[in-house]
Formats: sequence, C-alpha cells, structure tokens
Amino acid sequence: MRRISLQVILDVSVLALRALLPIYALVIIYQCFASARRHRRPEKPLVTLEIKETGQKIPVLFWENSIGRSKGSDIRVSDISVSRDHCVLLRRKEGWFVSDIGSKFGTYVNGERAEGRAKVIIDDEITVGHTTFVLKRGEEYQERLRPSWFFSKASDKGSLKPYKLMILITFFHLFMAVEACFSNEVQDYVPLLIFGAMELLMWGFFFISSYALNRVNFELEALACFLSGMGVMLLVRQELRSAIVQMIAMAIGMIAFAIIVKFIEDPDRVNSWRLAIMIAAVVLLAINIVFGRVQNGAANWINIGGVSVQPSEFVKIAFIFVGAAALDKLQTKRNFIEFIIFSAICVGALALMGDFGTALIFFATFLLIALMRSGDIKTVILALVAAAFAVFIVLSIKPYVADRFSAWGHVWEHVQDSGGYQQVRVMTYMASGGLIGVGVGNGYLKYVFASESDLVFGLIGEEMGVIIAFAIAAAIIALAFYSRAITTRSRSSFYAISACCAAGLMVIQSALNIFGITDILPLTGVTLPFLSAGGSSMISCWGLLAFIKAADERTYAAKRRAPANALRKRGEAV
Amino acid sequence: MKRIMTRSLIVWFVTFAFVAGIILLGVRVVLYHGDWVQQPYNGHIISNGGLARAGKITDRAGQQLAYSENDTRHYNSDLTTREALLHVVGDNNGYISTAIQSRYSNSLTGYNFVLGLGIPDSLRPNSDIKLTVDADASRAAFNALGSHKGACVVYNYKTGEVLCDTSAPSYDPEDPPEINENNESEYDGVYLDNVISSTFTPGSIFKIVTAAAAVENIPDIYEQTFTCDGYLDVEGNPITCEYAHGTQTFSDAFANSCNCAFGSIAMQVGADKMKETAERLGFNKNDLKMSDITIATSHYDATGAGDNYLAWSGIGQYQDLANPTLMAMICSAVANGGTATSPYIVDDDGKLLDKLGIKTNKSPDISMMSADTASRLRDLMRGSAEGYANNRGVSLAGLNFCAKTGTAEVGEDKDPTSWFVGFTDDPAHPYAFAAVVVEGGYGIDAAASVVSAAIGELVN
Repeated sequence: MRRISLQVILDVSVLALRALLPIYALVIIYQCFASARRHRRPEKPLVTLEIKETGQKIPVLFWENSIGRSKGSDIRVSDISVSRDHCVLLRRKEGWFVSDIGSKFGTYVNGERAEGRAKVIIDDEITVGHTTFVLKRGEEYQERLRPSWFFSKASDKGSLKPYKLMILITFFHLFMAVEACFSNEVQDYVPLLIFGAMELLMWGFFFISSYALNRVNFELEALACFLSGMGVMLLVRQELRSAIVQMIAMAIGMIAFAIIVKFIEDPDRVNSWRLAIMIAAVVLLAINIVFGRVQNGAANWINIGGVSVQPSEFVKIAFIFVGAAALDKLQTKRNFIEFIIFSAICVGALALMGDFGTALIFFATFLLIALMRSGDIKTVILALVAAAFAVFIVLSIKPYVADRFSAWGHVWEHVQDSGGYQQVRVMTYMASGGLIGVGVGNGYLKYVFASESDLVFGLIGEEMGVIIAFAIAAAIIALAFYSRAITTRSRSSFYAISACCAAGLMVIQSALNIFGITDILPLTGVTLPFLSAGGSSMISCWGLLAFIKAADERTYAAKRRAPANALRKRGEAV
Repeated sequence: MKRIMTRSLIVWFVTFAFVAGIILLGVRVVLYHGDWVQQPYNGHIISNGGLARAGKITDRAGQQLAYSENDTRHYNSDLTTREALLHVVGDNNGYISTAIQSRYSNSLTGYNFVLGLGIPDSLRPNSDIKLTVDADASRAAFNALGSHKGACVVYNYKTGEVLCDTSAPSYDPEDPPEINENNESEYDGVYLDNVISSTFTPGSIFKIVTAAAAVENIPDIYEQTFTCDGYLDVEGNPITCEYAHGTQTFSDAFANSCNCAFGSIAMQVGADKMKETAERLGFNKNDLKMSDITIATSHYDATGAGDNYLAWSGIGQYQDLANPTLMAMICSAVANGGTATSPYIVDDDGKLLDKLGIKTNKSPDISMMSADTASRLRDLMRGSAEGYANNRGVSLAGLNFCAKTGTAEVGEDKDPTSWFVGFTDDPAHPYAFAAVVVEGGYGIDAAASVVSAAIGELVN
C-alpha cells in the first residue's frame, strides 16, 4: 500500500511538471521578444537637412535616404529640375555620403559635381536641382517623432538580462532531459549527457558572443538556442546518433551565424562579393544535380565523405545575399535582372531534383524580394504567370508528379498507403498528446518515417503537448513581426530586405511544413526551422537568422560605442 | 527607405496567412481531436497504454463482457457469448468501428484533451461501461442464427434499453482468426455490425410502411376489397403471390401478406406519398442513432420509377433497403401510439451526468405517425401475428405479440432473406424486435425462431 502511494506521488509530480512546461515555454518565448523590444535608442533624427533658402529643417531618420521628386522618396523635393529618384544620402562607418543614382542634372556637394559616393560632413552643402541642403547635426531638429508600435518606449523598465534568459532556457532543456531519462521504454542517463554537452555549447556561444564579439543583445540567439535545443532533446530518445549530429550542426550553425553577421557588417562589401556568391550557389546546385542521390523521391542530397549534405539549404542563404542590396545599388536594372536569372536557375534546379517543396519556398521568397526591391506588381504577376506555365508543362510532361499530392484533402481515405500515412498519424498522435503531451520519449509518432524531420511538429504535439507546438508557431510569427519592425531602424536597405525576406522564408517554410503534415496543404516534405532533424537545415536556419540579427540596429552598436568611450576618456569632444 | 518599409508590409501579409492557417489547425484540433485519437493504429490505445488497461464492459446483469487484467484484454468466459456480442463490445484491434470499444474508447482509456493519453497508470481515470444488453438473450439469439448471416435486435420500447443485440458472422475476440484468401468467404462482412451498419432488402415487412401510407392517404381503404388471382400484371413484370388469395379486405390482405393487393395499394397511394410516409418512418435518414452510434441509412424512393417499380417498392422489393434497428423502431412507434423510442445501449458510461441519472446516451424520441395510424397498424400486425401464432418455433403466444414476417428475394441463385419484425403488446414485457436471416429461406421459421429464442430468455 505504501509503495502504491509513493508511485502516485511520483506520478502526480511528473504530471505537474509536464503541465508547467507549456507555461514555461510561453514565458521563454515572451521574454525573448520582450527583450527584443527594449534597449532602443530614443527616436531621434540621425542628422538634419536644412534648406538653405528657407531655413526649413528636415529630419533624416534612416541610414539610407532617397532624395528625389517621386512621392515615395524619403526626402521629397518638388522641383522640376530634380529627377524622380535623384540621389541617396547614406551613412556608413566612415561617415555620411551622398551618391547620385543617375539623375539628369547631377548632384553637387559644395558646388562640385559628385561622382560615385561623395563624402559629406556637417555644414556641407548638397545641391539637387535648384534646392540646396545644408547638413546639420541631429540635435538641430527639436520636434518629437512618432515612435514605432513594436518598440517599447525608452523609459520602459529594463528587460530580462540575457544570461537570465539563458538560465531559463537551460532549465527548460533540463526538464526535457529529466523527462527523457524516465521515458516509458528506456531509462538511463544518456539524455543528461546530451543535455550537458548542449548547454556547454550554448553557454560557450553566449560568452563568446557577449565578451569576445561584444554583442550587446542576445535574444534572437537565445530563441534559436531554445528551439534548436528542444529539437536535440526530442531526438535523444529517437536516435542518439542524430541527436549528436544535430548538436554538431548547431555548433556549425552558430559559427556560420557569427561569420555572416560579421561579413555583412559592411553592406558594401556584400555587393562586391555578390557575383562570387551567385556563381558558388549555381555550382553547388549543379554538383547536386550531377552527383545527387535520390532520397524519398527527391534527389536533393549529396554525400561528402560519409556525411549527407543538402546543398539547397545553403543556397537559401546565398539567395538572400543576392536578392538584397543597398539603396543606391538597388536602383540599377542590371542588379535586378541578375537576380531574376539567378532565381530562375535556383527554382528550376530544385524542380529538376524533384524537391518541389524547396522550389516553392524559393519561388515565394523570390516574390517577396522582388516586391520589396521594386514594388513592381508587374514583375510579380509576370513571375506568377511564368510559374503557372511551368507547373502546367511539368504536369503535362510528367503527370505522375500530381499523384504525389493526390491524397490532399482526404488523407483519411489513405490511412494505410503513402498518400496519407504520415499525415493521419501526425493528427492522431498530436491529439493523443493532448494539451500537455505524453512526455519526452513516450510518443509513438517516432516510429513513423521522417517523424524527426518533416513530422517534428506532430512529434512536439504528441510528446510535449499541443500548447508548446502552437507556441513554436507563435515564435515564428513573432520573429516575422520583429523582422519587419526592425527594418525601420535598419542601417541599410540591404538589411531591411534581407531580414524581412529571411523571416518571410522561415514563415513560408513553416507553413508548408506544419500545414503539409496536417493536411491543410499538400505534403511537400520540407523542414520546420530549427526543430527538424537535419544538419544542413539547422545550419541554414542559423545563417538566415544572421540576416535578421544584422538588421537590428543594436547589433553593431557595441563597436561604435567602444571608440566613443575611448575618445571620451581622452577628454575630446564627440 | 520609406518605400522599402512600406513594401516590407508584404511580410505581414505572408504572416497573416500563416496565422490564419494556424488558427484553422487549432480549430480542427479542438473539433476533431476525439476522432483523430480513435484510430486502430494508435499506439497509445492498442499497446500497453490503452485497452490493456481500459475499463470493464458489463451487461445489464453485471456479467463481464470485456475487462483488462495484467495488461491483457479479456472477454467473457463463454465462447458463444463472446461471439454473440463481438459487434457490440468490439475487439482488440478496433476493427469493428461501431463497437463500444471503438466508439467509447475515450471513456474506456481515460482520454481527455487536456491530459492526452500520457497519463501515468496510477492516475488514469479509466471508467467502466455498463451496457443495457442481456448477454444471455443475445447469446440465445446468436445460437438461433446458427451458421446464417443475420442480425437480431430486441429493445424495450418504453425505455429504449437495447436488450438483445447480435450479429453474425462473428469470431472470437479472445482469439481472432487470420482472415486470408482461403477463409474470407466464411468471414464475409464479419467486421460489420448487421444490427447497426447493414441494410437488407425488406420484402414483406415493408408492407407495414405501405399500410401506414394507405391508412393516412386513402380514406376508404377499409371499405375497399382486393381481389388476388395470385398474379398482378403491371407493365409486363408481374407481381405474384404463392397462391390466389381471392377477394379480401385491407386487413385480410395484410394478414395474408398479399403481394398483389399491396402492389396495387402502393400505386393507389402514389410514389410521392409513399416516400413521404417512408421518410417520416425513418427511411432515407442518416441521423438515427443507437446511443452515440449512427445507424445505417435505410432507403426508399420510387419517385419517377414508373408504376411497375412503384408496385414492387410497395412490397419491399425494387431498391428498398431496411436496417434492422430502424424496423424495430418503427414497431416501437406502433406500440407507443406513434412515437418511436430511440434505442440506447450504453447504460452508464462512467461520466458524471450518467451517474446523476441523466441519460446522455439516448437520442430524443421520434414522432413517426399519428396515434390513430399506430392503433390501426397495431390491429393489422396483431391480425397478421394470429396467423402464425401456433407455428412451430414461435413461443411468443402468451405475450400478445404483433408482428409481420418478410421474405425478400435477393437474386435468382440465392435463397431469400427472412425477416421477422414486431413487438410484444404486454406491459410487463414491452419489447420491440427485428430479426433478419440472410438466405434463411421461406416462411417465418428462420427469423421468428431467432426472436423467440431471445425473448424466451428475456421473459425467463
């Protein structure tokens, strides 16, 4: 009798722990974004442009500003002698520049015609048409500016310190590990070992980021650590080897993240590497087509020294690189046409491999980039028509392609065949998990093919509960809103476009994944960002996150503050 | 930058679409989680976490029909009882989708949406289910079916409790057979509960419906006489009787089960009125239920089919299809003054409302006909029953029973389907019943003996 009551006490505590985990997960995700909304500089103009003739003061809000006659210009000059898109006033590390973007009558700095990027300093005169601006300091502009809805006011209380956020996440992973230790089928301490190794990796990344790289904020990385770590802990009871591979990929992803953030620090450097990146991506895809081996109906894998790699995942990063550009480069036609050709090659190559899910992601991302760059609905419609045409041709040449999606909408009639086998099991096991899940390692979906990669959303629903599964979807939604919100403060249109499109890509990919396996969309077999098992996918997600990170104005702030402090110490004016 | 910021709102649109999808998924999860869980392949239910520790199922007397012991699911100790109630109780694999173990496995396994199926065993709120059936009556009926395919349902038309419910062919859930190419004919349709999920050609029992339509639509039906030469030729495909019944009144024609008379009555009523009455009596309806389990839709429609087919449809041939439970319900309406009692089989599903005596498992009763029509049909069925009250195999004589037999032709090379439907007009034993025996042969022996076996057991 005493033994039974002890069992009951143990079971009640396990259940209570499990019931708390969803709330805990929601707190972590909330804290990540709460922190992202804070620590902002007050909304103030960077510099002020004073119109010489009238003395009117115009605040310069962005790091890159278009000057011209057209309505959408950041600084609008209604003067017939000014071109619609006349020039760009932009800020770089070295200071302020003005760059003529093919105006009819030219841009003049202190009376001299500007060729390429011309440096301007305070009190310099910039002349476009009949209008002359004088560059003044930001403080010259006194009126208050309307703050963005997303960011909290500067006066708001401080958010959770990054290390505290990391402690929260560590404990969440610890709970998962403990739960996995007591799973129904296997009981051992392996999950704790994996947990230890993973936390070492995460904290190592945190310390390097904060102290060696001097990054002031860590919330995006924390979110990625939280999600990636959850994926690793889910894998422990499924296939230990995959869990270890996933962890190694996470480490590589973190390195890739740091490198990309560093690399794109200077948006102009990206522009000079653009062609090289494009060629590298095309070569990668070509290698894939030649040497690719067919796996699950798509030849999107290559084997390098015993390691399976999915090149298309890395091409995603290159795709964003090539698509985005600084404002003064954005306007040139050549740049855009190159991008269209590159996109067509990427989508075509993926379709050729039979990886329609990824091809669709690339195509949708192409539309996003095209719209953000040109705002040109015509291009988008043209692209859609071309795509519809391509789909029509593929379906008439290879009608069996359509069969792969034939079970869509009525998977319950395909419970035992490949058309609906995975989807119905995802739904059944998600429902079996209830709101709080059956516990890490106790699921049955793990015996279904691709449960750790394509079906991972269902696995989370089953083992950790529907609330956590939906919370993850909410995190991805929040990431997209965050990416859009930070574009208002981006240091270059390159970051604005790349961050929005990287986030858009993740949302589209998540939609194809989550809705594909739950029969809301046809099943295309793409991964869920950060959570699906697969090294290439993990690395590419961290790479994409780097673009969002770079778009946040605060990312490179530490660098600028350090020399400023040094100057202050020497008693010089800043 | 301003322009790019405006354009970047496209990310919002993409995200909103994603949000909409997530909401749709959430709604589906909330609406359908119960159905999604109840799948035969669900590892949580079929393996150690599920039925192996599910609650007991007992009959009205407390006899254990299914229970779990030492992580194994067991069934009643008697082989025939196991077979007789296979379709009511279900098996380990969930192959019988209308069975209690399939339909009520949420209760049995303690599933609820908040906790899912991952509840530790010590806390599992598994509940026992008590059924209304009498295992012995069902066993007797199953025995009487012998090797025939068929079904028998008997229920209390005052309360709705299903007392006897059996379907054949069947198998032993304790030791399920390997069904392969060699024996599949023996197990043809074995996973279907013929009481719930099957419909059969009704034959002469459909004359109850035709009679109801006649009483309601032909004012002088009792003044008419019907002359039977054993042969009614309507547009070439003649309706026949076994012998010429001669000149009869409406009541005689019903008692004689005269095909010629009822073929012409159906034509007199007309296809639209026939259909209207049939639908009021539950034909073409897909929402009839026994407890939570939907009953197969019975079929009647002769509109636009021409007089010949209309005549055939009036005697339960043509495309007519009837479900045994519906036929018993129609009989209950006759017995109850026009209102059919909805049958229920789950007496207590262990949930709170049931414990408080509120029957959540019974559907509302259905008004099928006027009290006048009911009383007239009762007289007709009583008259019909008197004709075979003394027949061998019918031990209902003391119960003042009202009934109709049926012999449905199903094809040239097959023996006809035998039916027996009716009710006992006895306050102490208010039973509505329907039995069907496929290829049971002519006459009332086959189906009527199944019903009497069951009721004999209930009365004792």
